[in-house]
Amino acid sequence: MSLNFYRRVAFGLSPNEKPDKDPLNWAINQLDTIPDLLWPGTIPAEKDLRKKYGEWVYGDREVLRKKFKNDKHAYRKAKDELRIKTGERYFELNEHAIRHFQTKYSKQPVFERFWLFWGNHFAISEKDFLAEFSTGPYQREIIRPNMVKTFEEMVQSVTTSWCMIHHLDNSESFGPNSKKGMEWGETINENHARELLELHTVSPNAGYTQEDVIQLAYIMTGWAHKWDRKNLETGDIWFDQEMHQKGDKIVLGVKYKNDAKRELAKVIHDLATHPICIKFVSTKLCRHFITDEPTDEMINPVIEAWNKSDGNLIEIHKAVITQAYKYNEITHKFHPPEIWLMQLSRMFDLNIPLSFEKMNYTFKSKPNNRQRQLSWILREIGHSPYRAKQPNGWSDLEVDWVSPELLLRRFWFASVELPMLVKSGNRSHDFILACLKNNFEDHENMASLIENFRFGTLDYDLGQKYGVICNLPGVLKI
Amino acid sequence: MDGLTAVPVIGDKRLKKLRKKLILEDVLNLNSDFGLHPKLEIFHKLWQKNQAAFVHATNIPYTGRSHFDGQNLMETGAHIPYKEKTGWLGRGLLASNIIGKGLAISLPMPLLLRGVPQNNNFFPSPDFVETKLIDQIYNEFKGEHNELIKSTLDTIRQRPLSMQIATDSDDRKKLALEAAKQLKDQSGPRVAVFDLDGFDTHAAQGGVDGAHADELEEVNKIVTILHENLGQAFDNTLILTLTEFGRTIKQNGGYGTEHGYGSAILIAGGLLKKSQVYTDWPGLKKKELFEGRDLNSTIDSRAVYNSAMSICFNQDPEFLRKEVFWGDELPDLSQELFKI
Repeated sequence: MSLNFYRRVAFGLSPNEKPDKDPLNWAINQLDTIPDLLWPGTIPAEKDLRKKYGEWVYGDREVLRKKFKNDKHAYRKAKDELRIKTGERYFELNEHAIRHFQTKYSKQPVFERFWLFWGNHFAISEKDFLAEFSTGPYQREIIRPNMVKTFEEMVQSVTTSWCMIHHLDNSESFGPNSKKGMEWGETINENHARELLELHTVSPNAGYTQEDVIQLAYIMTGWAHKWDRKNLETGDIWFDQEMHQKGDKIVLGVKYKNDAKRELAKVIHDLATHPICIKFVSTKLCRHFITDEPTDEMINPVIEAWNKSDGNLIEIHKAVITQAYKYNEITHKFHPPEIWLMQLSRMFDLNIPLSFEKMNYTFKSKPNNRQRQLSWILREIGHSPYRAKQPNGWSDLEVDWVSPELLLRRFWFASVELPMLVKSGNRSHDFILACLKNNFEDHENMASLIENFRFGTLDYDLGQKYGVICNLPGVLKI
Repeated sequence: MDGLTAVPVIGDKRLKKLRKKLILEDVLNLNSDFGLHPKLEIFHKLWQKNQAAFVHATNIPYTGRSHFDGQNLMETGAHIPYKEKTGWLGRGLLASNIIGKGLAISLPMPLLLRGVPQNNNFFPSPDFVETKLIDQIYNEFKGEHNELIKSTLDTIRQRPLSMQIATDSDDRKKLALEAAKQLKDQSGPRVAVFDLDGFDTHAAQGGVDGAHADELEEVNKIVTILHENLGQAFDNTLILTLTEFGRTIKQNGGYGTEHGYGSAILIAGGLLKKSQVYTDWPGLKKKELFEGRDLNSTIDSRAVYNSAMSICFNQDPEFLRKEVFWGDELPDLSQELFKI
């Protein structure tokens, strides 16, 4: 088995890891339990960060905007001070550190790859201040614990999470015949219902109609944040019967009797166990780990595992890895910038993220450049993970990631930025050769391409070496 | 963008009443009905030469007031958010068989340009990148599965030296200068796309010097640089703005405005027929407003873009309408707006 399997399903091998005798077993054994988050710094709770979110929007919208009506300069200044005080510019940096640290040091890196996959399947795209305060904790507290449960349970948690409800506007969706809908002349917002069908479960392959979207939106009415004057939209999620559309609903030909909050669980059950949903999500999993256009032959065993286990994610993950192993030698997969960065960081033991002591934040001044470094790199290579542009998340297709500028940015990172991240003990040529040998079958050919620089240990020399190595076809792709 | 701030209607008592704190002084004169925001100087200058025009009370057919859905639709040109994965400009280039001639001034390829292969994108990186590194590994890209990367490396290697710059990517002047240089080049791109934000002025929108004015100043800066540096090519050019929605008529409690509907399109370039404010003005009385609060849209802005593409790409507007906008009913405005 090629060493590239460790990059196909994980992040490659760090300098102190050795290839396993049985790579398939090595990978499969990582999926039964949820590894602890290893970041030694602060890991704030979702609820606490939501409170900060509330302080920020309340302070801006209800206080500053009114106070500085006529003075844009004073308004901007006061707003910057509020950013500092509420951590508006800090928490996302901390989340990136938590995430990167995990993929770098986890003893179950294969599990972590699935974590990234699901966080992107149920993506929270750039909206309001979600990336600043909420998307990170959503990944940790909603996605992660559900990875050893069933797909259906995952969909239930995601759909009723504050983050997703805010992201897809369900709090603004009123049943037109509900008490509040009638009183205020409000109606549904279809956004969340549409994405639940299109992106999260059955996909357009199920052939649902606009009427199905409307009916599902009716079922979902009432699942909203609890609004109050102080917390505004950051209150907890509850079911507001006064927003809920009365009467029976029909989605994809199935009738759901008027049953208030219980309707949602029933329809999610039917969607999450729908054969077209199973095929759609199995295909996405195979696309992520095997190749852009997986064949039925690759996908079918995953569907079988799904059906046999009633959607148990542990079993599904194991089937995906088994298929990835089976097709490892004959398929290719391009890695998006963040996974590429995580792999370089693990294989060459780079000096990111910043130590937790230095990541510590006092809410008294702007985060410093070093604290911003990892997030800045992610942005500059075009893949700031919690800022997908659309609710369908980041693409998993090579064609979306191969543009001139995006490739150039990889050369930029590897030749200019990476040398500054090499630890002082790792600057020798031999260190690079050892890392290559640990991770690549054709390490000798790779080494020959940087032979000219073997005596150089300055940043410039390291830049020449890493600039070449990190952008070779076998590193950009497996 | 707030069309009523960029191209204010003159002497409308109702607007004055509803926007007490957003009133513009020193508006530049366009005609008896409309003025121009004083920060949009270049448009005023070009107006004198029949090289600036405005389409008013226009928008994409989207009334949901969500930035995200709206931005998605203004780029795809579709009716349902997130349904289409390609942009109308990309599809227009593809239908016109103009392959690999789109240039995006941004890091990811904007949705607007997607749908046609080999587009270029450019955004100055924080440091200079030695493209000789590419030469060293180019021959390693073998086999069919590496073709896409290899051909993209070709595009990078064919880039002019001027594009291999490192600069502050927030400096829009430099970006505009670069785009002008590329567009002027006969073998360079046929279209370029800029991304601007900051028009979401919920507070302190202000008048002549407010937050919205700052953004208009940016637009003015970019168009000024394009005009200066395109030289003769400007005569053969159209510059159009695209926005997801306008703003409410009424100012809010923070002297800003909320998400609205109808807005305006600013147009500059030598391919314009004449200077004019092209509009089917719906009025600003309460019952004339969209849902009683926004400037209505009486012109589907996609008709303007379809007509502009037909002029620039030398295509039949009927053909483009079918290829790009699924045959939606979009009247051909070429006669009215552009030189044929």
